[in-house]
Amino acid sequence: MLILMNGNEAVKRVAHNPLVWFARRILSGVAVVWAAATFAFLIQCLLPGDRAQIIINVRSGNVGPAAPAELAAINAQYGFDQPLVVQYAKYVWRILHGDLGESYQQHRAVAGIIAEQIGPTIVLAIAALLMAWAIAILTTLLIAGRDNIWSKLLSGAQIFLATVPPYWLATILLVIFAVNLRIFPVVGESSPMGLVLPTLALALELSGFFGQVVLNEFTRVLEQPFVTSARARGMSDFGVRLHHVLRHAALPGITLSGWALGKLLSGAILIEVVFARQGLGGVLVAATSSRDVPIVSGAVLISAGLFVLVSVIVDLAYRILDPRMKLT
Amino acid sequence: MLSPTARPTRRFTGRSNHLARKMAATLAVLSGLSQWTPSVHAQEGVAVKRGGVIRYGHFQEPACLFGGWVQQWYLQRQYSDNLVARSDDGKIAPWLAESWTISDDKKVYTFEIKPNVKFTDGTALDAQAIADNINGWLSNNPDLRNPTAAPYLSDSFELAKAIAPQRLQVTLKVPFEPLLNVFAQSSQGILSPTALKRGLAVNCEKPVGSGPFIVDKWRHGREVTFRRNPDYNSAPAIAKHQGPAYVDGISWKFLPDQTVRYGSLITGETDAIYDIPAVAWKDANSRFAVLRHITGGTPLRLALYAARPPFDDVLVRKAFAYSTDRKAAVDTSFLGSLPFEGNGALSQSSPEYLHELGQAYAYDIRKANQLLDQAGWTERDRNGVRVKNGNSLTVRISYSNAFLKPDGEQALQVIQQQARAAGFDVRLQPTNPADFFAGRNLGPDDYEIVLLYWVAPGAEIFRISWKPDQNGEPNRFNPSRFQDSALWEVIQRAEQDFSSAERKGLYQQAERKIVDEAPVIGFTVLDVTLATSPSLKDVWLDHGSVGEPVFYDAHFDERK
Repeated sequence: MLILMNGNEAVKRVAHNPLVWFARRILSGVAVVWAAATFAFLIQCLLPGDRAQIIINVRSGNVGPAAPAELAAINAQYGFDQPLVVQYAKYVWRILHGDLGESYQQHRAVAGIIAEQIGPTIVLAIAALLMAWAIAILTTLLIAGRDNIWSKLLSGAQIFLATVPPYWLATILLVIFAVNLRIFPVVGESSPMGLVLPTLALALELSGFFGQVVLNEFTRVLEQPFVTSARARGMSDFGVRLHHVLRHAALPGITLSGWALGKLLSGAILIEVVFARQGLGGVLVAATSSRDVPIVSGAVLISAGLFVLVSVIVDLAYRILDPRMKLT
Repeated sequence: MLSPTARPTRRFTGRSNHLARKMAATLAVLSGLSQWTPSVHAQEGVAVKRGGVIRYGHFQEPACLFGGWVQQWYLQRQYSDNLVARSDDGKIAPWLAESWTISDDKKVYTFEIKPNVKFTDGTALDAQAIADNINGWLSNNPDLRNPTAAPYLSDSFELAKAIAPQRLQVTLKVPFEPLLNVFAQSSQGILSPTALKRGLAVNCEKPVGSGPFIVDKWRHGREVTFRRNPDYNSAPAIAKHQGPAYVDGISWKFLPDQTVRYGSLITGETDAIYDIPAVAWKDANSRFAVLRHITGGTPLRLALYAARPPFDDVLVRKAFAYSTDRKAAVDTSFLGSLPFEGNGALSQSSPEYLHELGQAYAYDIRKANQLLDQAGWTERDRNGVRVKNGNSLTVRISYSNAFLKPDGEQALQVIQQQARAAGFDVRLQPTNPADFFAGRNLGPDDYEIVLLYWVAPGAEIFRISWKPDQNGEPNRFNPSRFQDSALWEVIQRAEQDFSSAERKGLYQQAERKIVDEAPVIGFTVLDVTLATSPSLKDVWLDHGSVGEPVFYDAHFDERK
């Protein structure tokens, strides 16, 4: 009994050790990535249609069954003729060695293809996250707690932006600001000016979400006693909002940012296609419609890895910022 | 059967060497060549401005810079040369081959290869290099096999070999007159055998040809940049000048969104764009130079599954054709940007096209009802759908946006409604491209109609569409499953006939038979359009091939 109690105590202590906590997070992260990899493998085996057939048809632009000799050559090249267990083992083995396979259509290493394209996508996603925050904060500072026509309009606009499809918004922005007004380039490529419209198209939707969340919290905080006391000290209304209220109101929004980054990465894919920007978007859309499975599963794997990483960082940040949070 | 918004293509056409058949065809061909020998100098005496980079906004980005998809041909046309070229009027012209002879039995072609031509990696472009290319196309090696050349040539091709450093011999098992047409298509551009040994991964990325431009860099998702080949000395006889290209290079951008693509031309961010959007067609014609090529081969057509009921009965196939006002459906859906084509066998830009077949099966609901009654589909269920022996007259149409523009779907919906009046229960089976290529909705029991096309110069496409299943090997390019040995006989006779008039007659005989039997019903033509800014001159579409844009002769005017 005594031993048992001591044991429990020890377990608790070990569990609260930051290193153990960290190791557990890493292990669970690895499990998530492994599950994603297995899922991606199963998907490519379970999807209807013969893989060799699809590869041949997409390469040649044909439909209809290919000749057995052609099929055999492709099956041998990619090892589709081996038992699934062997294929799976080889797949996992390659991943462990950092090899995500070779694209069926581009004939290049998937890791290289993703590495080449992910940079612009991440730049776009982070730029959009920052811009969404800027827009949300600005509008909140202006409208929270006020009851006039402007606050109603802006709040309505936020809801509209949160619900409108970003690719539609993207086309509208493009026609107005690039084709008609010629303020921004139509084909932005990698120039900073070319980043503005895609970022805006992506950020507006998110700023609507952020705005609504922050606004609710902001309105609640505005009624707290410390706000009244700040006002009593003679601080301007805007000063109170900026220095006191916003800090509290922004917390739920920060929590939302983890989710938002995922949403932005997936949203960026559509926006990139509309704006003809380099990035994962074009590659993934093409890979999906030609069922270039190594690229798609590589992207699934990398995204899973990214999410694990981001969530570990967010958890760590919480622990550092808010000591009340226990490591659990 | 192929290509989608832009997929493969093939072509062929009647060309001619009217020679007495018995005479060595050799002489004939040689005499035909004389007209090409003085290389045509477009701007003789006029100084053409050199320099500048053409910024070209294209539509789709392929996964490899060469291959069987027509999007790949467009790129390959810029960096590789072909053995021969084909002019607008279908005549074969010298390119890498300066001349050639054909043996009396039409089975041996001997080509004299232009001397002193090099690939841009320094490899000599000689007869051996070309033989290696051709033999690779017909092999089963996935790295070398050519999905365009193989279906045309696999029955007739025997061997290509160099019999002297600059003399190439191609031997056939049976005569095949469209051989040179096949060699003239951009997908049969000759690539450096040294470079090909590097494997597909490298070659797809940086293929090496001997053409006027060199692939510089492919920034995936954005553009392919080409730079001028300063030593270019192997332009085809159909080009407007000889020697290196006028411009320094091409920035070949991929702009899949039509608003972006057309917008970039308006704002001057590109000098030329591909595929003018239907809504901008009028505007483009008023502001820019517009180039258009209606592709040969098959039009976009409805292929009716003729191997089982209900379309195994020719009366029912014809009834379906008469019951639908396809012209009205196409005109209202495409707003005139893509014309209706009633001839399901052959596109109107093919030399063998018969205009009277362009109006075949004009809308006639009375005739449709008569034919269905005659075919025994006399009863109707309470929804008005015809019934025979307990089976409903159901027609499933499989299609994919890989082969059909979005407006086309609307046209199909119109057809669906129209055919209902005659008692057809039409069901649409839209299929995403990946599933379509995987064979979804394309199995023997999955569809009654499928929408497909195959671009080519002309009637040589019949071999691909209508070759019957042989030796247990089905013809995968025949979605109608219509098998007619008499038709195949005529097609083969045409292919082996070296008199252009007779060959054309035979192909037209086949064309009439196809339209008459109605295993395919016409829908729309397919086209290639290009808009170029006023400062860019002398861009042309290769009408002798499938309308590939050619930037070799292009140059900027003084304003730029």
